[in-house]
Amino acid sequence: MENAATQNSSRNDNDTIILGIESTAHTFGVGIVSSSKPFILADIRKRYTPEKGGILPREVAQYFSTVASDAIHEAFTVSGLSPKDLNAVAVALGPGMGPALRVGATVARALSSHLKIPLIAVNHAIAHIEIARFLTGLKDPIVLYVSGGNTTVTAYNHGAYRVFGETLDIALGNLQDTFAREVGLAPPYIRDGRHVIDHCADNGSFLEDLPYVVKGQDVSFSGLLTASVRKYEKSPSLLPDICYTLREIAYSSVVEVTERGLAHLGKKQVIVTGGVAASDFLNEKVEIMAKSHNASFIRIPKKYAGDNGVMIALTGLLMYRHGIGFTEPSKAFIKQRWRLDKVPVPWYPDTLG
Amino acid sequence: MVSRHPWLAEGILEYIRRYELLSRGAESELYLGLFLGQRVVFKLRRRKKYMDPMLDRKIRRTRTFKEARIILQAYKGGVATPRLFGFYPSLYLLVLEYIPGKRMKDVIEESSDLKLITLLSRNAGYQLGLLHSSGIVHGDTTTSNFILYRDRLYVIDFGLSDFSKSVEDRAVDLHLFRRSIESTHAKYSDIMYSSFLEGYRERMGSIAEEIIEKAEEIRLRGRYIEERRTVWRDI
Repeated sequence: MENAATQNSSRNDNDTIILGIESTAHTFGVGIVSSSKPFILADIRKRYTPEKGGILPREVAQYFSTVASDAIHEAFTVSGLSPKDLNAVAVALGPGMGPALRVGATVARALSSHLKIPLIAVNHAIAHIEIARFLTGLKDPIVLYVSGGNTTVTAYNHGAYRVFGETLDIALGNLQDTFAREVGLAPPYIRDGRHVIDHCADNGSFLEDLPYVVKGQDVSFSGLLTASVRKYEKSPSLLPDICYTLREIAYSSVVEVTERGLAHLGKKQVIVTGGVAASDFLNEKVEIMAKSHNASFIRIPKKYAGDNGVMIALTGLLMYRHGIGFTEPSKAFIKQRWRLDKVPVPWYPDTLG
Repeated sequence: MVSRHPWLAEGILEYIRRYELLSRGAESELYLGLFLGQRVVFKLRRRKKYMDPMLDRKIRRTRTFKEARIILQAYKGGVATPRLFGFYPSLYLLVLEYIPGKRMKDVIEESSDLKLITLLSRNAGYQLGLLHSSGIVHGDTTTSNFILYRDRLYVIDFGLSDFSKSVEDRAVDLHLFRRSIESTHAKYSDIMYSSFLEGYRERMGSIAEEIIEKAEEIRLRGRYIEERRTVWRDI
């Protein structure tokens, strides 16, 4: 703590400093980012973990409202900054769960009006892409964005990130979590840094009869989920094989769509971002695929795969520089289904640093 | 016979690999060679090293087999498509007529001739209409999969195609085409899609409307579409 404080005392007054708030799903994150090294000054996360079942939006929101003020306070302590050092506050207004989003939006509105600094509305999906571009240095990639609620293959073209392929029904993370829950493997969903499906798949091998569905550039997982659960109900002893096959099919299909995007768009770089980007298994697959097309691939650090406030602050900073996204606090409405291709990206291919 | 003698399969593939490599796509390698005295394309499905070998073989075998049956039926239905000269599922190999043209994607990228772009899109729509009337859905309708040769626009790559007459599956083809032009030819996407639909309607007649409407619905089905209705009111 003291360390960070001394570092920042040498801080240039011309630096732009943004505080970012993330509250779209299970994590209430507060990040502080500066326009010069070391860039990341604070990264506070409060993660909600249900004791049983899945995540209920109302319960998350309740949890968020109890931890929000601590998180903000900790971010200032860790960075050795005070509220008056901020140039703007950035907040993820979507896409995500309404009740959860509202907590972040409320905090951001309050900070913005009280400190009389601009509020910048950040798209959560764009933030995942921007932090991956920043940390990997791969500036013009095809992006595989996979998390609990999102499965999208996207790349920049003509001013915005365009969707090349996506899931037609449920997201990859949702598929894994739902299956794990249905067969009694979860919660908790993560054990020793790995998903319970990964643990379960360790002793499994490939089964022929689960469906692999790639429709052009899109994937579909609902058929796979149903077939897997049914298979388990019929023969519970096959569980390791089902886990193995479900994971193999699901991950292969998103990598195949990414591969198609790479070939079709002629990109030379690949990145993976979002919560599922923490999976070693997924990263290995993407790495092999990229290599076979002579494309570069760099993993993002596990820590920044999942939701965090830093990515919101970082994206907020890029937007601040280009004067976009400034929103009146009284008009900072949440957007639960805010598509990433609706957001102009004038800073591309530049990033921070 | 080939599958019982792996050395024979390897020999054949090695022979083909000595031909000129035309392209290496996400899915397969295309070699330009000779077959019974004809100039042909050998379409060889590549091994995907990132997949479990069993899944990989299963996918390649099924796709090769299906692609062969589909090309035959499309050709019968009058679709401008390369003719099929031979197919070998155990080698993941198809032998196809060579079309020495240019990809629609490249033609559009290199041209700013709006008339040409409209004409091509209209043609693509018409060809897709022909394909659909033959009971086939393409499954990968990007502008990379239409080839302009002389004055004809050929449909290629039936790797993800299926036999289907369902409104939903047909609509997916329209949706995929639209998304592909939005992501690769964003500047012209509106005019391209409307010309494409014109050509499609021309072949499909009155049943086209239901399919076009469905395509719109599919577009809105993707997650996080703003226009989609939600139970939560946005505050």
